[in-house]
Amino acid sequence: MKNCIGVILNENLDKNFGSLCNQRPSYMLPYAGRYRILDFALSNIVSYDIRNVVLYTSEKMRSAMDHIGSGRPWGLNRRFSGLRLFSPYYRDGQATRSEQITQLFNTIKFFEDAKEEYVFLMQPSVIAKVNLDDAFEEFVASDADVSLVYKKQEDPHGRYVHFDKLHLNPDGSFKEIGLNLGIDKEFNHFLGMGFIKKDVLITMVKKLKEKKQVSSLKEAISQNKEHFNIVTYEFKDTVQVIKDTESYFKASMELLDEDLYREIFFDDGIILTKSKDEPPTIYKEDSMVCNSLVANGCVIEGTVENSIIFRGVRVEKGAIVKNSIIMQKSVIGKDAIVMNSIFDKSCKIDEGLRVSGSSNIPYVLAKNGHVKKE
Amino acid sequence: MKEKSIVAMLLAGGQGSRLKTLTEDLAKPAVPFGGKYRIIDFALSNAANSNISNIGILTQYKPLVLNTHIGIGSVWDYGREDGSGLRLLSPFTSQDGGNWYTGTANAIFENIDYIDDINPEYVLVLSGDHIYKMNYNELLDEHIKKGSDVTLAVMEVPWDEASRFGIVNVDDDNKIVEFDEKPENPKNNMASMGIYIFEWDLLRKYLLSDNKRPDTSHDFGQDILPSMLEDGQKMYAWPYKGYWKDVGTVKSFWEANMDILDENSTLNLYDREWRIYTKSRNMPAHLITKTAKVTTSLINEGCIVNGTLNNSILFTNVMIEEGAIVNNSVILADTVIKKNAVVNNAVILEGTIIEENAVVGAEDDHIYLVSNEGVQKE
Repeated sequence: MKNCIGVILNENLDKNFGSLCNQRPSYMLPYAGRYRILDFALSNIVSYDIRNVVLYTSEKMRSAMDHIGSGRPWGLNRRFSGLRLFSPYYRDGQATRSEQITQLFNTIKFFEDAKEEYVFLMQPSVIAKVNLDDAFEEFVASDADVSLVYKKQEDPHGRYVHFDKLHLNPDGSFKEIGLNLGIDKEFNHFLGMGFIKKDVLITMVKKLKEKKQVSSLKEAISQNKEHFNIVTYEFKDTVQVIKDTESYFKASMELLDEDLYREIFFDDGIILTKSKDEPPTIYKEDSMVCNSLVANGCVIEGTVENSIIFRGVRVEKGAIVKNSIIMQKSVIGKDAIVMNSIFDKSCKIDEGLRVSGSSNIPYVLAKNGHVKKE
Repeated sequence: MKEKSIVAMLLAGGQGSRLKTLTEDLAKPAVPFGGKYRIIDFALSNAANSNISNIGILTQYKPLVLNTHIGIGSVWDYGREDGSGLRLLSPFTSQDGGNWYTGTANAIFENIDYIDDINPEYVLVLSGDHIYKMNYNELLDEHIKKGSDVTLAVMEVPWDEASRFGIVNVDDDNKIVEFDEKPENPKNNMASMGIYIFEWDLLRKYLLSDNKRPDTSHDFGQDILPSMLEDGQKMYAWPYKGYWKDVGTVKSFWEANMDILDENSTLNLYDREWRIYTKSRNMPAHLITKTAKVTTSLINEGCIVNGTLNNSILFTNVMIEEGAIVNNSVILADTVIKKNAVVNNAVILEGTIIEENAVVGAEDDHIYLVSNEGVQKE
């Protein structure tokens, strides 16, 4: 077990996902056919043997608790250490937003009592299989207070405007955290994750609460850069950031590339999730499938192209699904056509009907939605 | 089922030698099936779905893969805190020496202590070799209704095949009057399925006395059951209607897997009311790429299909490269079919690599059992 606590912070991104996150927090959004966004952060942490793990949940806790349970699928239901869920907790007089610093302060005793000396913090919206053995080793060897993980991101199309940016000095040392304004074709994308010495974290959080300043950890570190010795760690592989419906859709479609698929799901640690005991998917005689990611438990009788099909979905004869994401247990009726859409869990579209979004604005059908004839 | 009133004893010690290289390194109940399962998952899931709290699994032949697969049975909800659950029972030594299990009845005899500890009213004997779904409560209900000492589950087989089976002859009330082992002229077409419910007290007596006799094969079908019938015990047959397959040979293994693709197959793996549970690996949803063509096939998680797949079954993490063509085949886990290879009528063992442009199998009446060591034509 690593001498390091794993902390998954809560982000406030739900509102960016419309109906998809009405009843669930953004980190519980189904992704890649059989996972939840959170699975990627959790799996990376445990694959590098960090076993004392904390998840700061949002107020919508039910789906997370149901999915995580005792932490068994990630090997976190151990007798010693394991997974803790910290629900948002407010004392009198505190603001009602679940700010990161407030929540860290309210749970500071956990950190004080823990015997680990270091803390790794991350945010579920950033999927990046960082080698935490390497990053941790470098951090500990440097004896720095903080290490921030970043990637040299090419951005010819300005997709990363307003993402967090690390400003580095000419000698490569850390200068400050800023915002990418899209001026350069390549920038240092700060991945919202890093290591910090536990004592440094505790002291900083307490001081900030005393002075009633700042709400996010990122701001806290940025403002304290004079007092801290901050180093950086460069990550060179694929990063997916899922912070709104558009980026969710784009990231999903990226998974259809075989090389990226292998990198995310096979290289350097597999993604763990709660198993659902579905039989393998069956493709019937008239089915036509190409360029798609299909989970187990499906019965495919129609056409599926450029799509992500989740567990237990039925695509009936003559139906066509293109450029779409169809979540668990949905049914696409005979001869129905679904294009550029996102169907949440247990949706239905009746025989012969059609729905379509445009290629950059997907049509979203909320959970249990039913497209039916008049 | 009342908590302690029944114990299931699941026989999983056999080799199934006619499955050749499929069972070279593992026992027959551990043989993979249906894209993601192992044969024993069916009996285990049936027991779990039937709410049987206590189940002993008798292992003997090469049990490593089986034991790893089963563990403490958590996947079938047998990882319990209250002392009930699943026990792996392998042969052991004692003050009197030690014996390998010499027959199906002997295996139960050697584990009388396990059953006595639980002190049930009934013992359900099962085999881990067969593919079927059954609610054992229905068998028990019949057993209780008839006031029976032993109840056998039987199923109708085609008359022209009846001579291959242990046939059970009954009266109008399904009371057993005669056992006819592989009869030349069958009087009945009800075959014994190797599933029996016994009154434990009675079975216990017969196990003890059978063990004292050196001349028997210590087998249920050959010794215990005929002996009970001779002594006038009340024995009934319960007809089972549903899909049931004994995958004893390479050909029947291939056929049983292909059955799943059959529109008219009665083995419904998609029935949420009676799920078959298994220990899964953590694999992603499978990927069907731009160049792939897939028809009438079953594909499990972790596969990447770039080529053409028709009427075939892919287990976990199988790679079909571009240009490869696979027909009428069962491809076990972690196999790679490289570019432009052609595969027909094959059963391909786990971890096999079929090289680029290779031609494996043929479109004929044979089944080709393929591994990295070579091809066996069945």
